[in-house]
Amino acid sequence: MEHEAEFAAYADGAWGTLVRSAVFLGCTLPDAEDLVQTTLVKAYAAWSRVRSADNRDAYVYRMLVNALRDSHRRPWRRERSTDRLPEGAVPDGTAAVDTADAVHRALAGLSTAHRDVVVLRYFAQLTEAQTALALGVPAGTVKSRLSRALAQLSTDRHLTGSLPGGHEATGDHRD
Amino acid sequence: MTDLEDLWDDLPVGPAPVDRILRAGRAVAPASTSARRRRAPGWLRPLGSVGALAALGGAFLVGVQVAGGPADPGEPPAAGSGSGTGAEPVVFSGRLVAAGSCEVLLEHYRDRAAQLVGPYGWEGHDRDQGLRTAVPVEELADATNLSRAYGAAPVTQSATSSETGTNVQEAGVDEPDVVKTDGTTLWRVDGDVLTASDVSGEQVEQLAELDLGEAPGVEDLTGVEILLTGDTVVALGRVEDGGQERTLVLSVDAADPAAPTVQHVLDVDSGLVTARLHGSTVRLVTAAGLPDLPFVAPDARGSSRSITEAQEENEDLVARTAIDDWLPTASLDGGEPRRLADCGEVAVPRSELGLDTVSVLGFDAGTADPLASLADVDVTSLAAATTIAYASAEHLYLAAATPDRGWVGECWDTSACVAPAPSPEAAGRTQLFDFALTGTGADYVGSGEVDGLVADRWAMDEQDGVLRLAVGASSRTGNFNSVLTLRREGDELVEVGRLDRLGVNEQIESVRWFEGLAIVVTFRQVDPLYTVDLTDPAAPTLLGELKIPGFSEYLHPLGSRRLIGIGQGPVGPRGAWGAQAALFKVRDLTAPRRLSVVGYAPGTEALAGADPRQFTWLPEQRVALTVVARGSRGRTGWVSALRVDDGTLSNRMVVAEYGTDVDAVRLVPLPDGRVVLSTPSEGSFFAV
Repeated sequence: MEHEAEFAAYADGAWGTLVRSAVFLGCTLPDAEDLVQTTLVKAYAAWSRVRSADNRDAYVYRMLVNALRDSHRRPWRRERSTDRLPEGAVPDGTAAVDTADAVHRALAGLSTAHRDVVVLRYFAQLTEAQTALALGVPAGTVKSRLSRALAQLSTDRHLTGSLPGGHEATGDHRD
Repeated sequence: MTDLEDLWDDLPVGPAPVDRILRAGRAVAPASTSARRRRAPGWLRPLGSVGALAALGGAFLVGVQVAGGPADPGEPPAAGSGSGTGAEPVVFSGRLVAAGSCEVLLEHYRDRAAQLVGPYGWEGHDRDQGLRTAVPVEELADATNLSRAYGAAPVTQSATSSETGTNVQEAGVDEPDVVKTDGTTLWRVDGDVLTASDVSGEQVEQLAELDLGEAPGVEDLTGVEILLTGDTVVALGRVEDGGQERTLVLSVDAADPAAPTVQHVLDVDSGLVTARLHGSTVRLVTAAGLPDLPFVAPDARGSSRSITEAQEENEDLVARTAIDDWLPTASLDGGEPRRLADCGEVAVPRSELGLDTVSVLGFDAGTADPLASLADVDVTSLAAATTIAYASAEHLYLAAATPDRGWVGECWDTSACVAPAPSPEAAGRTQLFDFALTGTGADYVGSGEVDGLVADRWAMDEQDGVLRLAVGASSRTGNFNSVLTLRREGDELVEVGRLDRLGVNEQIESVRWFEGLAIVVTFRQVDPLYTVDLTDPAAPTLLGELKIPGFSEYLHPLGSRRLIGIGQGPVGPRGAWGAQAALFKVRDLTAPRRLSVVGYAPGTEALAGADPRQFTWLPEQRVALTVVARGSRGRTGWVSALRVDDGTLSNRMVVAEYGTDVDAVRLVPLPDGRVVLSTPSEGSFFAV
């Protein structure tokens, strides 16, 4: 049926960014794929509601973030930065582990709240309002957290010089 | 492999297992694409069952919730009866037209609402987030803090706290807060308890406690803040009522601080956006939100009601709404709810802004018996969602900044988010509505529109009839910020000057306005501080620029030569980030300099950045008091006493409070030079 085809197209298109976001939010790659599958199943179940919303992405990302918050898969549930590797990132022999570890190390200095905003707004490229909706915080909070988080990251060697212009500008909404 | 963006691309993500997801999805939702939501309370539940998810064969999580709190459908709003509340008729023009009649107004509401209704009710909005909930603009918007002071141009001039001890945006316009003083008595709010203390002696002596929650008709009052004028305390609070928000306004006779009594309770069925005090005139801006209609939902089993049928039934409900479903009402002292404004007094914008009803209420709190009658409350209403309210001494501006994509305003908690995708013509622009403040009234005098987005009230300033704006980028502007000046010609706000290219690819963090000057801080990786000459409104000119690490979220002028910036920056080894305070020399505006900087510990936050009421400048002592916090669990709040001494800042930290109460810490200056440290639990003198 028509909606199903539409959902399939959406799931196909959104998959890569959702999985990458889940990894950046703290999951291992296998956990991220499981989590995104679960999220998309829920999106399917609520599809008529999700599809009619302007904020389709915000909806789906909100489901993802909530799923993550409810799970114990996010290895860094602490607020403070640490020099130690996140305990969840135990090597399991797959090629993805190094990459995920590097991500987690690079983002370990950010608080969970800041990391959520950076991942959704900056990497998944949701708009400020979508990010606000997905995280359940006011848009002003997204703005301030993003500027703080990017400021912090910009002093970090992992991102120095790599911030492309414009992403964090006030009015730089996607599209 | 140290670059995060490379890592993003390098993650070996496989193809989407769409077929598996579809199989599992069908198992979860047997009725195929229909969601199984019902509007009954408690639709908050796992959408999938354990068994269905197990069909995926993976290690799935169960019990995942889709959205926040439970839906709590309230009663439809009481149909107010009776006529208006005595507001003078207003003439709307330009971008606003008077509805003229209830029929025309109702047609507007129904037309706009028809675009918003779906098979489950209002679309584009999470039902359980509270349809009629408005969050105060300040709470949402103080990510960027701008402020202003009067002065000879172009020069900065000292800004001090209001007469009641609050650090405010606008000299002469007081703002509500959790603590107020007349210099002798300190009024403090903790929860819904109002406490009076004598601060004229050597110790702070508590005089009386008044439980506002025990006043007739008052229940579950939250978020209480007060205004103080003469012998009257006006308490403003919110009541969550079945997912809808009401605003309660209590007039308290404070003539005898030892025996304060609640005189009247005004109950408005709208959320409170903001409030101001001009002299003894209290003004509230409220947002009514959308009516809570008894919407139906499709039956997931598809037997009794299809999606199409539900859509039609809901559209029918909207088409049958009456004008009293839409217009906000108010009641006094438990009386009959009455319409705040009559149909003819409600203005309708020509542009398609978000659907809501914003009202400006005004009453004189300096009379013998304030709020004695609803007839004493002046009302002007606008049938639109405006997201920003800024009041100068003589004007109130409501602004609707429409982002580029399908969003209006700060969307999560406010009724503004029910707005449909903005019309292409509104996207990326800010609509402005100008009201002249006379007596207790707010008369519509003009409107205008600018390209780009005004971030919050601090980005606006009125000086001698010239409206100055700091505008951020949108799809309609270049990738930079601008300072604009507008003047009213007839009923049009017309741009008379502009300065572009402030902070290319950067966003505005703070602005401070002066008579002929603006100081703008933007940020990306360093903090450019710009000084802009506004002495000729037709020709804003860039005077100087200073780049330093970190940025200021709040700027406070100490006089014509110095400025304190409270913000954040690299404060520790290896670039660890934390709160910082800086002293700037702005005597030569073409070459602003940073004289001295205080870095707090890594991980700290300077709370004045989010709420300038947590900053106090003591001009006599040349000491700035500000609140710094660290931690979210196990949070500690300090008072940082910053002494300005010949170009250097020295800092002394005193632990003031713990936990969430840190946000309510205030430092209240008294006329005799002493300072009261006010926390939710007590007031005490703070040794500067």
